[in-house]
Amino acid sequence: MNPALVLLAAITIGGAVLAVSARDVRATALGLLVVFLGAPLLVDPWPGPATILARMAAALLAIRIVEIGLRGEDTTGGTRLGWPAEALLAAAAAVIGFGSHGLGAAGLGPAEAQAAGFALIVLAIAPLATGRDVLRVAIGSVLLVMGATLIRAGLDAPPSDAEHLVLGLLTIALGGAVGVIATAARAAGGLATIGVADIGERGPRLPDAHRPDERETKPGAGARPRPGRPAPPAPRRSDPPAPRRSDPPAPRRSDRPGPRRAGPPPP
Amino acid sequence: MTVAPFLVIAATGGMLSLLVRDRRSWSTAVAAAGLLAMIAAAAAMDPAATARIGGVDLAGSAWLRLYALLGSLVGLILVTIDVAAMHEPDVPGTIVLGLGAAVIAIAITDPGVAVAAATAGGLAAVLVAAPVGAAARAAVVGVRELRALAVAGALAIGATAWLARPLGDLTLAPALFGFAYLAFAVAVAIRLGAIPFHLWAARAADAAPGVALPLLLAWGPAAFAAVALAWIDRSVAPLALPLAGEQGVIAAIGAISVVLGLVAAAVQDDLEHVVGYTIIADAGFVVLALAAFDPGVWEPSRTWLLVFVVCRSAFAAWAVAINGAYGTRRLSELGGWARRSPALTAALALVAGAAVGWPALASWQARASLVHLALPDVAAVAVMAAPVAGLAIYGRILRVGLRPPSPAVRDGVGERPGWPAPWPGRPMVGTSATERVMERSSHAIGGLLDVLWQLPAAGRRNRTGIASIAVLVLAGLAAAVSAGGLGVPEAARAAPRGGEVGPGGAPTPSGPTPSAPAPGESDQLLPSDAQPTPTFTFEPVGGSPSDSPPTAPSGSPRG
Repeated sequence: MNPALVLLAAITIGGAVLAVSARDVRATALGLLVVFLGAPLLVDPWPGPATILARMAAALLAIRIVEIGLRGEDTTGGTRLGWPAEALLAAAAAVIGFGSHGLGAAGLGPAEAQAAGFALIVLAIAPLATGRDVLRVAIGSVLLVMGATLIRAGLDAPPSDAEHLVLGLLTIALGGAVGVIATAARAAGGLATIGVADIGERGPRLPDAHRPDERETKPGAGARPRPGRPAPPAPRRSDPPAPRRSDPPAPRRSDRPGPRRAGPPPP
Repeated sequence: MTVAPFLVIAATGGMLSLLVRDRRSWSTAVAAAGLLAMIAAAAAMDPAATARIGGVDLAGSAWLRLYALLGSLVGLILVTIDVAAMHEPDVPGTIVLGLGAAVIAIAITDPGVAVAAATAGGLAAVLVAAPVGAAARAAVVGVRELRALAVAGALAIGATAWLARPLGDLTLAPALFGFAYLAFAVAVAIRLGAIPFHLWAARAADAAPGVALPLLLAWGPAAFAAVALAWIDRSVAPLALPLAGEQGVIAAIGAISVVLGLVAAAVQDDLEHVVGYTIIADAGFVVLALAAFDPGVWEPSRTWLLVFVVCRSAFAAWAVAINGAYGTRRLSELGGWARRSPALTAALALVAGAAVGWPALASWQARASLVHLALPDVAAVAVMAAPVAGLAIYGRILRVGLRPPSPAVRDGVGERPGWPAPWPGRPMVGTSATERVMERSSHAIGGLLDVLWQLPAAGRRNRTGIASIAVLVLAGLAAAVSAGGLGVPEAARAAPRGGEVGPGGAPTPSGPTPSAPAPGESDQLLPSDAQPTPTFTFEPVGGSPSDSPPTAPSGSPRG
């Protein structure tokens, strides 16, 4: 057992727990950053300095894009299990991953990487299956892919420089996807769009993304429930207080009205 | 030339196009220039050339070259149609980046790295699936697509990692290989939107711009499927393990996708839904290719992948052109479209012929081979008949087009060419010959300037005609590919040098050659020390051009 790798794995798992359980979007982004920074280092031997720098740059760029997408948002749904339960689940998965290193055959990578991979995948399951806002589901998707890459690092020989490059691009793409989705959700009324869209739906449903009419293109119009459908769930008692109407609204770039998708040009 | 220049151009062009996305015309121009350069780079690609970058081989092949060439060509035509019909934001840059990611995924010889690259390329498509301000639910569509991509990517990465090392005694457990095979095949089914994993694809077909559908649902997933086919051919199939149960599950997914996809397409009113479900139906044949371990599946699977992506791109382009011309994609509102769009009518007929085909075509032969290799006879007949019944889909669209024109079609822009301004008359007033010569020269220059000045307005006025001609060209390309033109069968048959291994061909594995057990002995494998490992090991890079590429004997035993 390599103590440095154990420490790195613990830090990576801690970042994942923070990402899935925090209600503050800045803490969520911080947790993701820790995962993105820690995952490339869970290999033995470590890659060269240039490779590490490239992975760090990819991680920072990915988180920067996520931050741009979340600009103006303060809270997300967080976990319903609570962070202690998430941490215990992750620890249990990590122990299983460490103990089953190689999955029946000799693993060519460090056991710590497989442990962290198992933990990340277990942490990803709840947001993927029950996430009620787009950020939670996106975080689950990111952790799932990062967990799979960590398991690969634990099973196979140390990745080559080109593999690190591809994984860096994958990291940027994951961050970009989360940023794009968060931006679209904010423009549509908030990160909880998925909850409004799915709760209590019965009978025939309209297309997910029909051509927007004038009402829908107004800022914040997307989160309103349709007539005859239940309102979004009320915030829990532990939720942070909603801003009062007398509070000045924070300026957002997403408040620009109008669709980005243009219709056919005039003849 | 290796594949590297193509990848550099794609990465540069795609990123530059997205960086200037606030200026849509510039973004489109950069992407179009990038696609032109990619066509040139693909045409100059040497199928035998291999590049080694950072410890990973990028192996060329005739099939990869054709995929890159067709992809760039189709991408350029799609961008042209998009500009003429809808001009959606971010689509051109995403097409360039997505094509680059698909090509790099096919070129990389290590399947674990390849699936990571294919997943990263698929994520680029989220940019167009969740456009800001498109509608309230666009973010939900985007996050569902992200979830599907993540699940598929994680399954594929896990499966390839599990089998890409010496497994020792684990080779005595066929269930392990079956689990890994099933995981990767399901990952491909998810990426292709095969039924029952089609919900995300159906929603994406609703939300994403029509011109981006081929990239989202066909080109990117086809690259993912190509990686899976090579991996199965190399890591799972040669071991001749008893995986009938897993193969049956995958074959059932493929057959159900073919039949139900066509049924769903036949009852849809939205043209983009029709396009989406026909893509899902054709993707079912790709899934069927994963269910067959026979070496004979190598050529038809690769032929079908090319037919699939080009034909469905043409159909999607047709739907975009109709939407741009008449402002609606509802079939019920498009009565009489064929009367005002003869070029689009011809294009639809070409697309239908290429997609359905007949027994003399390469596409038909490829489809028949895949079905008969993967399914029992009775089911094979039913699945083979389904695409023929798909003619009803095109017939229904054409029947609507022959009705009296609907209000939307009457108010739309037809294909009739026109000029934005009346041609100016220039009477001759000179009397002498010299005067008349000078006057004619002056009139010629003035007329030329008039024409040049009016060209942008003329392009806008004739945008439907331009889009229709582009669709017709794309439909012709689809027909050529379906007929086996452009060297499709030869490219599909050839086994590449480097990592992607054909049936029974080199590169030589480092371990002992697996021997297929006799019937009834499939579970009595060799001792662990004599077991072949499915580790990917390839020939040295940079072999001399005189080295003969590995041949692909049809029907030869694996290994």
